[in-house]
Amino acid sequence: MGTTERLYAPAIQRFAAALVPLFCGLLGVVIANIPVSFVGGLVPPPLLGLVPVYFWCLVRPDLMTPAAAFAIGMLEDVMSGSPPGIWTLGFVVAYAVVARQRDSFAGLAGIAAVLGFAAAALAACATATLAVALLYAHLPPLGAVVAELAMTVAAYIPGALAVSAVHHRLVGPLRSDF
Amino acid sequence: MANGTWKIARRGNAQLPLVIVLVLAVVLVLAGKAQSGLFDQARAHLTDWMAPLLEEVHAPLDGVERWIGSIGQIFTVYSENLRLKEENARLRQWRNTSVVLQGRVRHYEALLHAVPDPRLNAVLARVIGRASRPFLRTMILDAGAENGAKAGQAVLDDKGMIGRVYLTGKRTAWVVLLTDINSRIPVTIAPGSVQAMLAGDNSPTPRLDLVESDAAVKVGDQVVSSGDGGLLPPGLPIGTVVKDGSGFRVALLADATQSESVEVLNFARPPETMPPASQLPSEAAGLPPLAPPPPQPEAAIPSSATPVAPRLKMPVIPSTTAAAAQDAGAE
Repeated sequence: MGTTERLYAPAIQRFAAALVPLFCGLLGVVIANIPVSFVGGLVPPPLLGLVPVYFWCLVRPDLMTPAAAFAIGMLEDVMSGSPPGIWTLGFVVAYAVVARQRDSFAGLAGIAAVLGFAAAALAACATATLAVALLYAHLPPLGAVVAELAMTVAAYIPGALAVSAVHHRLVGPLRSDF
Repeated sequence: MANGTWKIARRGNAQLPLVIVLVLAVVLVLAGKAQSGLFDQARAHLTDWMAPLLEEVHAPLDGVERWIGSIGQIFTVYSENLRLKEENARLRQWRNTSVVLQGRVRHYEALLHAVPDPRLNAVLARVIGRASRPFLRTMILDAGAENGAKAGQAVLDDKGMIGRVYLTGKRTAWVVLLTDINSRIPVTIAPGSVQAMLAGDNSPTPRLDLVESDAAVKVGDQVVSSGDGGLLPPGLPIGTVVKDGSGFRVALLADATQSESVEVLNFARPPETMPPASQLPSEAAGLPPLAPPPPQPEAAIPSSATPVAPRLKMPVIPSTTAAAAQDAGAE
């Protein structure tokens, strides 16, 4: 598709493409929170919703807005059964960290890119833990939070490959107008 | 537009919604702490909606999980068989003993006119989901309000107590496990009837907080629900005491990660009512009823004082509003 065709893509397609990152985030939350475990609940499920937030916040921040991160975090709260608003705040803080250091994060590749995502996930998990500690006046067990962080970072590579494929096949051709 | 120019322009526009969304997120956390009902309702509706899907997904995955688990058991099946035979023989002896003791207890209860334990109804439910999150350990059951499940009811498997229902939808219920950080239940440690609080901390063995720190507790003592507060029936088996540094923990009898079918106990302690006057001890013994106390003399008001109308007329609060206000105050 040429540049001119992209610019004049039907508005409805552009709108649909703009919803793809949000939809991917919501889908990631739903998949991660299907309450089925192969390992008997030994490890927590990853925060799959954070992968699209991080990816599109770097690649196309106009498509992954703070409001979208808010919505994805809120669905994580509802589906995970966590105290209300905890992951919403965590996701928005992670978004803020990535958005403010976007130039630094966007230049990372390979293992450094995974570490960049780990920093964003750490921001989300630390915010959520701190909020729970403040709200309930006791520090939640850090081992479980670290396990959640480790699982989330481990899920980044397959997650990033998936959202990258979605971006190139669906979002990019329709909205790569700059 | 050059890339650098675009980034600067976009950043200027993006800061405002980000700040607003951050503030909204903080407000959501605070509002969620104050009014968690909306979130709970949303969760319950979502789980009700997803229940058929969960049941379909869970069945084959359970089969796979069992199959994976059974691979390791192939190598231990012989020794496991011997152990089970020995355990079975011991349990048969205990069964005979318990039948004799049960009959004796019934006889003593009849002699003493003991108040019978409240009858328990139970709803059998299947586990259709489990979640182990940093801030919540829960399982989802396929029985909800339509089946009589209510928040606060105890959930047991064939070995012992697993947790309590904390949220019910129409067809599903969420259970907060005894190991969850939000779980606190009053327990009794037998023998000796030592009272304690069983507090989950997301570890497999919940912490035991003794009411009296110098109470005599030994490793291996049995832990059962105490029934304090009337929320849970007394005597539900929970686990055994194990040592943990300077304190104690409880090794749970039930394994929530393996339970497939559970019972939701419908327990409600009947409200206590005053016995009729004829059954009061004094009248039953043939004595005259106690005279009512004489009215208090109004000595505080001097005789010359004239009653003064209150300057501010207090509004009359209807009883329901007053009760609600008391509840709000208590919260």
